[in-house]
Amino acid sequence: MRALPGAAPTDAELMARSLADPEAFAPLFDRHAATVHRYLGRRVGELADDLVSETFLVAFRRRAAYRPDHVEVRPWLLGIATNLVHGHVRTEQRRYRALAREAARPVGQAADPGDSADRLDAEALRGPLAAALAKLKAHDRDALLLLAWGQLGYEEIAAVLDVPVGTVRSRLHRARRQTRAALGGVLPTDASEEDDR
Amino acid sequence: MNDLTLLREAGPEAPPFTPAARSAARAALLDEIAGPAPRRSRRPGRRVVLRLGAAVVAAAAAWTGAVLVAAPDGPGAPADSVTLVDFAMPTFPLTPDPVPDGLRPAFDGDGTGASIAAYDDATGAHGFTLYVSEDEPEGIGDEGAPGFDLEASTEVSVDGREADLVRYSREWCTGDQATGCGHRSFTRLQWERADDQWVVVLAHGRYRAPERVLAIAESLVDRPQPAVLDIGLAPAGWSVQAFKMGRVLSLVNDSYEQQTLTVHLPLPEDVVPPDQLLDQLMGPVGPVVPVTVHGRPAQLVLCDAGYLGQRIWYLQAQFEDGTTFTLQVPDAFTQEQVVQFAEQVTHNP
Repeated sequence: MRALPGAAPTDAELMARSLADPEAFAPLFDRHAATVHRYLGRRVGELADDLVSETFLVAFRRRAAYRPDHVEVRPWLLGIATNLVHGHVRTEQRRYRALAREAARPVGQAADPGDSADRLDAEALRGPLAAALAKLKAHDRDALLLLAWGQLGYEEIAAVLDVPVGTVRSRLHRARRQTRAALGGVLPTDASEEDDR
Repeated sequence: MNDLTLLREAGPEAPPFTPAARSAARAALLDEIAGPAPRRSRRPGRRVVLRLGAAVVAAAAAWTGAVLVAAPDGPGAPADSVTLVDFAMPTFPLTPDPVPDGLRPAFDGDGTGASIAAYDDATGAHGFTLYVSEDEPEGIGDEGAPGFDLEASTEVSVDGREADLVRYSREWCTGDQATGCGHRSFTRLQWERADDQWVVVLAHGRYRAPERVLAIAESLVDRPQPAVLDIGLAPAGWSVQAFKMGRVLSLVNDSYEQQTLTVHLPLPEDVVPPDQLLDQLMGPVGPVVPVTVHGRPAQLVLCDAGYLGQRIWYLQAQFEDGTTFTLQVPDAFTQEQVVQFAEQVTHNP
């Protein structure tokens, strides 16, 4: 997409421009750093401060390989961030386990198990959810969290992880099945996964 | 509320992106944009390689991936001592029964188990490789992939399950100066052997005849195989990071991922003569300490790892059959523990 005259350049235009004028890359940080940090922060906590920096350094160095017809800049950055998380899988798992332990501490009235799933307080599921994330295989977790937290579609996930869409489907199917199972069936299982694309 | 909504609303929250962190990240980017001035280290090295001597580095070229340290700035601190405990190596889940004569497997994998078993004869010209994964592997497509010359593609059956059998040839380099690169023909069979267990048999040389590939596929049984390179002990709280081709095994401290150890079987031509060890190692900070491992003389040297102020023990020893192996372990190990660990390293070629 091309920007209107006088309008701010699009991400793709900035990327293209940055090949000849590296400083044109800087506004991409201003546009997307908060999104990338939030995604990383949910996965690795305080380590996000470093990884968001790494993400943009890697992106800048690889900008010549960016293909605007393949994927937009925001998913591309989240893909780089996801790859960086791979070097810190244990940190990520430790964080989820710690959150699960913390959430397990009694801090008031527990949810009534007789409540319907829709009315269950999400707060009560924080611990089991974190524990479930810790148990997922790394590739499955990537796909799930790019979908849930990165708001990427299946095609975008496939593009940034460099795997076929079918692989994304199978990873998501497995991750969501295992997550639901870990939550003890308190979630409706008949929700269509395709609806969440 | 479905699981995705729950993840968004009740999943772990991110810490705030503080102005200081944002400014630091932006400054680092602007610094990078500013040009190829001598690059400063903004953070303790995230990816560093043990800087051993040139010959050792050459020997390690094939397994650099295993000793790359993805160093997080996460919680934890390096162990300054270790407790060695019994340890069971991850396994490869399948075994061909019978194993074709003259073929021995080498495995690649990580802490969750081996995913590749390569069965090759001594020349490397004949054999097959088994791949196991939870995800459906990406094939070479109905019309072949770039660089692949598709010869035939058929649907077959393996133990009653649908399977894809593809024959193709492609450029193939052995790395051997004498033979260099050439065209090699393969037969590839892929099927879902069990739920979430996809298997690929990729055969070449004498094993690529379709009927032979099918026979290999149908001979597979659920019998886990141990890695070629095995250890009987590991520091408590450490786990397998990776193992490759039966020649490299790396473990990582689960509480501090900068801290790793590696076991390596160098190729015979890459073995450093003991009297040249100090010259070949980079950063020795102590003399060669003579020790005994598996009843044979071995050499132990304390070295500067070259990053994060860590020191490592470098041990060069031999199995009873004379095959040389090396260890690189943190100096959290005592000298006695290095030897104790080495005594439990076994090799089943």
